[in-house]
Amino acid sequence: MGKVRKENGKDSAAFRRAVWRKLKRDRYLYLMLLPAALVTIVFAYIPMGGLIMAFQDFDIFKGFLHSPWVGLKNFSNIFTQAKFLKSVWNTLMCGVLCLLICFPAPIILALLINELKDGIFKKFSQTISYLPHFLSMISVVGLVYMLFGRDGFVNDVYLALGGAERVTFLARQELFIWFVIGVVFWKETGWGTVIHLANLSSISPELYEAASIDGATRLQKMRFITLPHMKPTVIILLIFQMGTIFNSNFELIYGLQNPYVDFEVISTIVYQTGIKGGNYSMSTALGFAQGLVALVLVLGSNGLAKKMTGNGIL
Amino acid sequence: MTKHDSVSRRIFYVCNVIFFLLLIAVVLFPYLNILAKALNDGKDTAMGGITIFPRRPTFENFTTVLGDKSFGRAFLTSACIVVAGTLLNLLVQFMAAYVFMNKQFIGHKVLLYLFMVPMYFGGGLIPQYILYSKLGLLNNYLVYVLPGCFSVYNMIIIRSYLNSIPASLAESARVDGANDLRIAFRIILPLAKPVLATVALWVAVALWNDWLTTLYFVTKKEMFTLQYVLMQVLKEAEKIQAIIKEAAMRGEVVNIKSNITTESVKSAQLIVTTVPIIIMYPFLQKYFIQGITLGAVKD
Repeated sequence: MGKVRKENGKDSAAFRRAVWRKLKRDRYLYLMLLPAALVTIVFAYIPMGGLIMAFQDFDIFKGFLHSPWVGLKNFSNIFTQAKFLKSVWNTLMCGVLCLLICFPAPIILALLINELKDGIFKKFSQTISYLPHFLSMISVVGLVYMLFGRDGFVNDVYLALGGAERVTFLARQELFIWFVIGVVFWKETGWGTVIHLANLSSISPELYEAASIDGATRLQKMRFITLPHMKPTVIILLIFQMGTIFNSNFELIYGLQNPYVDFEVISTIVYQTGIKGGNYSMSTALGFAQGLVALVLVLGSNGLAKKMTGNGIL
Repeated sequence: MTKHDSVSRRIFYVCNVIFFLLLIAVVLFPYLNILAKALNDGKDTAMGGITIFPRRPTFENFTTVLGDKSFGRAFLTSACIVVAGTLLNLLVQFMAAYVFMNKQFIGHKVLLYLFMVPMYFGGGLIPQYILYSKLGLLNNYLVYVLPGCFSVYNMIIIRSYLNSIPASLAESARVDGANDLRIAFRIILPLAKPVLATVALWVAVALWNDWLTTLYFVTKKEMFTLQYVLMQVLKEAEKIQAIIKEAAMRGEVVNIKSNITTESVKSAQLIVTTVPIIIMYPFLQKYFIQGITLGAVKD
C-alpha cells in the first residue's frame, strides 16, 4: 500500500496502473474470498436491510416499498403490551440469574479441579464434566423431561422421601426458570472450566515456591497469585457474558415450554408472533430492540474492561 | 498430598475427591437412567423406579425406533447434512483464512470489517425468514448448509494457525511460478490439516445438534432432521398430557396406558440421537480443547 501511495504523488496514471497491477496479481485471492463474501452479504447484510420492517406495518404481499410506515409504533408496543413487556422482563431475569450463578461456577470448579492430584481420577473427572456440553440442547431437554417426569427418577425419590403423590415438576410455573438455569448450569459448567484450567496451568510454579518460602498460606497464595492471574481472562469472559444477557436461550426455553406453563422470553415471542403468527413487523421490532441492547452492552462492557485492565476484545 | 500436609489440608483433599465423585454421578446419572429405560420393557418402565439398571431387559424399544421409516430417513438426512455442510464449511473457511493470511492485497482492512460486523449485529430471525422465502430456501435442503457455511470465528482460528507456517514455503513456490490457488491447495492445505480437523469437528457437532433450522425454515416431513424428530416426540408427549388433563377437568378418563409405552421408546430415540456424539467423544474432547487454546492465544 505504501508504495502505491508514493507513486500517487508523481502521476495518477501510474498510480492507476500500479493499483491495476496489484488487483490483477491478487485476482485469485479475491476469487477465493468470493464465497465467504457472498454468504456474508446475502445472509448477514441483506437481513439487516429487512429491519425497516420494524418501522412499517409490513405486508408480505405489498413488500417493503408499499407497506405503510408506522414510525415507532411497534417499539412503543413493546412497552405498552403486557406480553411483550413480560417477555423482556423474563429474558432479563434469565440473563441476570445466569450471570450470577452460571458464570462464577466454572471458575470455582476449575480451582477445585486444580487442587486434585494429577492422575487418572483428575482426567476422568474432567472428561465426564465436559460431556454434557457436546449433547444437543434438545436431548438434554429430553433428559430433563424423563428425569423429572411423572414416572421419572426424581418422582421415585420424592415418593420414597414421603411425598404424597407423583408431581409433574415441569408443569410448575414457579419452578420453570430454575429448570432453565439448572440446565445451563449442568450442561456448561464443566466445559467452562477448560479455559480457566489452561490459564491456571500457565502460572509459573516458581511463584508458588517463592511464596511458600516467604511463609504464605494456601489461601494467601490463592489470593495473591492464582486469582490475580485469572483476572484478565475472567474479565474478558464477563464481557462476552454481559453481551449475551439479553440473548435468551431459545432452544432451551422453547424445548422446556409446555401447556401448563406460561413463560415467554424475547426470542420465543419473536418466533411465536413472527413465524407462527405472521406479525412480522412487531417481532422484527422486538428482535431489533434486543439486538441494539446487546450491542450497547457489548460495547459498554468492553469500554469498561479497557478502563479496568487496559485491554478489551474489540 | 505429601507427609507435610496439615490435617485441614487432608480433610479438604478428601472432601474435594468426594465432591468430584458426586459431580461424576450427577453428570452421568441422567444419561444412564435413560439408557436403562431404553433397555427396559415399556410397560414396566411406566411403573417408575428405574435407576441405572433395566428391570426387564429388552431390545424391543430400539428395534421399534430403528424400524421406524421416518426415523431412519431423518437419521440419513442428518448424516448427509453433516458431511456436506462440514466439507462446504471447511472449503469456504480455508480459502478466506488463506486470503487474510496475506495482508498485502488492496481492500484487506475493509473486507475484514465486512466480515466482523455481523458478529456483533444482525437482522434477526424475521428478516432472515422473509429473505429465505424470497430466495426459495424454505423447504430446501440448501437451507441446512448454505447460510451457515461461513463463520468469522472459525476463519480467524484457521488463519492464526496458517500464520505459524513458515512464509518461505509459499514464497519459494511463488518464485517457481505457482499462483495463489495452487499455493493454497497444494502447499498450505496439507500443512493445515490439524486445524482443519479441529474446525471440522466443531462444525460437524453443531450441524448434527442443530434443530432450529428445521423448526424455523422447514415444514416438509421428509426433510426433518434427527434432532427435530426427537424434539417432536418429546413435545408430543407433553401435548398428550395436556389432552389428558383437559379431559380430566371435564370429568372424563383417558386411557393413559396407551402413551406411557412411548416413554421407553422415547428414551431409545434419545440414545440413538446422541450415540454418534458419545462414540466420537474422545476425539471431540481432544480437538475441542485444542480449539479453545488456539482461540485463547490468537493475535
